[in-house]
Amino acid sequence: MSNLSQPIVQIKEVTKRIGSKTIIDNLSLDLPQGEVFGFLGPNGSGKTTTIRMMVGLMRMSKGDIIIGGSSIRTDYEKAIRHVGAIVENPEMYKYLTGYKNLLHYARMVPGISRNRIDEVIGLAGLDKRIDDKVKTYSLGMRQRLGVAQALLHKPSLLILDEPTNGLDPAGIRELRDYLRRLAAEEGTTVFVSSHLLSEMELMCDQVAIIQAGKLIDLRSLRPGGGASVGGTGLPAQVLFEVDQPDEAARVLQETIRTPDGVPVRLQVRAGEGAIVLDALRDDIAELNALLVAGGIRVYAIRSLSKSLEDQFLEVTGGESVV
Amino acid sequence: MFDFAALVANENMKIFRRVRSWIMLGLLVLLTAAISIIASVTASSTIKMWDMTSMELMILIPLANIFCVIIAADIVASEFTNGTIKLLLIRPWTRSKVLLSKYVSLLIFVLITLAVVYVSTLLINSLVFGYEGGVMAQQVFGVLDPGMSAWSYMNQYFLLQLVSFIVTVTLAFMISAVFRSSALAIGLSLFIVLMSEVLSQLFSLVNKPWVDYVLFQHLNLTKYLRMDAALGGSNQDMMTLGFSLAVLAGYYIVFMALSWFVFTKRDVAA
Repeated sequence: MSNLSQPIVQIKEVTKRIGSKTIIDNLSLDLPQGEVFGFLGPNGSGKTTTIRMMVGLMRMSKGDIIIGGSSIRTDYEKAIRHVGAIVENPEMYKYLTGYKNLLHYARMVPGISRNRIDEVIGLAGLDKRIDDKVKTYSLGMRQRLGVAQALLHKPSLLILDEPTNGLDPAGIRELRDYLRRLAAEEGTTVFVSSHLLSEMELMCDQVAIIQAGKLIDLRSLRPGGGASVGGTGLPAQVLFEVDQPDEAARVLQETIRTPDGVPVRLQVRAGEGAIVLDALRDDIAELNALLVAGGIRVYAIRSLSKSLEDQFLEVTGGESVV
Repeated sequence: MFDFAALVANENMKIFRRVRSWIMLGLLVLLTAAISIIASVTASSTIKMWDMTSMELMILIPLANIFCVIIAADIVASEFTNGTIKLLLIRPWTRSKVLLSKYVSLLIFVLITLAVVYVSTLLINSLVFGYEGGVMAQQVFGVLDPGMSAWSYMNQYFLLQLVSFIVTVTLAFMISAVFRSSALAIGLSLFIVLMSEVLSQLFSLVNKPWVDYVLFQHLNLTKYLRMDAALGGSNQDMMTLGFSLAVLAGYYIVFMALSWFVFTKRDVAA
């Protein structure tokens, strides 16, 4: 873990007001180097506004954003060099070929060779179509071209707004693997906003959840990283698939009691042929042994950690637009 | 500071990789050729090369102006309309420099357009009607000064046209930067340019001192070429070329300041 190094991005008490409406309210967030960082929030919560402020497309009403040690406010040209981004849809010049589009962006940063352009074309898997005009591209191909232009200058911070939008399952998987590799091997910080929660769960090390312009939760999704998701020290929900759920419940409740003699709390899911209870990791094997000794056939044991979606709905209260 | 020329090269690529620009330039050449050839075939009397050039300029210059204004009105606004402005601005360049690169490439387009008109009218008419040397501007362009040659008139005419082209494209450029919508910017700019002659006549009827400072009174600079310097203009028209240029310069500064202010200050929400 590179937690010792300085965060690549520091969002410092940023507020954005448009008219009398406060879009972002005193948001502070640090992005550590080399992590895939998810940015979640319901529609209208201020995700895109935050991203726009990070890349200087919008001004902050208050606060500052420091990228790679330079302020996006006062030292824009220096700060933005660290950033490669797609903001919302990857809109390209449709009347130019994919290659010319990349050339266009390559010219705007010094030191990008033709080889580098060919390299990102390869990475994006666009070799065959790169000399076609962008207007003939599908949404997924434009998305790939968008990622390619963001990677041209090897940025230390990659900001992707809904990057999996329009990609087919193979493309999503490829992108996910690539982003993870980029973070792990090159130390690139990847900042991804997405609505696809299951996707974020697979991709991110950490997620920040914002609602109505405020940061409401920050949690780690990697084992050992944080406390929120079923770590070893906390009991987690465990499901046992058995042949006779009622009998299994009776066996367990007879044997396991709290010191005051109250039987263990468990839930019988007759339909699934399963029982569910809270257990520590060490207890699971013993519970299994108990069940087997009681003549119950156990087919499967699995832990029911809450999905990110459940957690997301829990913290945002399930509201869609505020 | 690295290469600003690369930014201009980008903008030029965006202008000249579109079929539109080539159609515009091609049309100017084609129209010249068509008018000259049709005239030479159908005319009963013999037509001279300079007369035809003079006539064609009356059609081609306004058309060239319209084309330049379309490019100018589109150059900033289309980036917003297509959403490409976001990817364009998140590069290590300040917004001022991005805007300047667009303005420079626009001026290049204006120069190319006027050059195309200049070369094509002279060349095509020389080919069709035969080159005619030693002609005085008095005979063909209706200039009062008897000492001016046709060539000298032609060069001065294009120089003055270049000035008014620059003012009108800068106006369109400003509208483009302020309204951020291609359709609105092109429509509004074209309306202003097409109406300028009518508006100019309308304003001439107003008998107030501020009328002399209205933009439309000064866009037609070539009228000064036809005036006799000795006469100093009639008492009805007291304006001089210097005065017109000064007024245009004033407007130019306002257009530029407004374009820059709006483009660099406003949030991008496209």
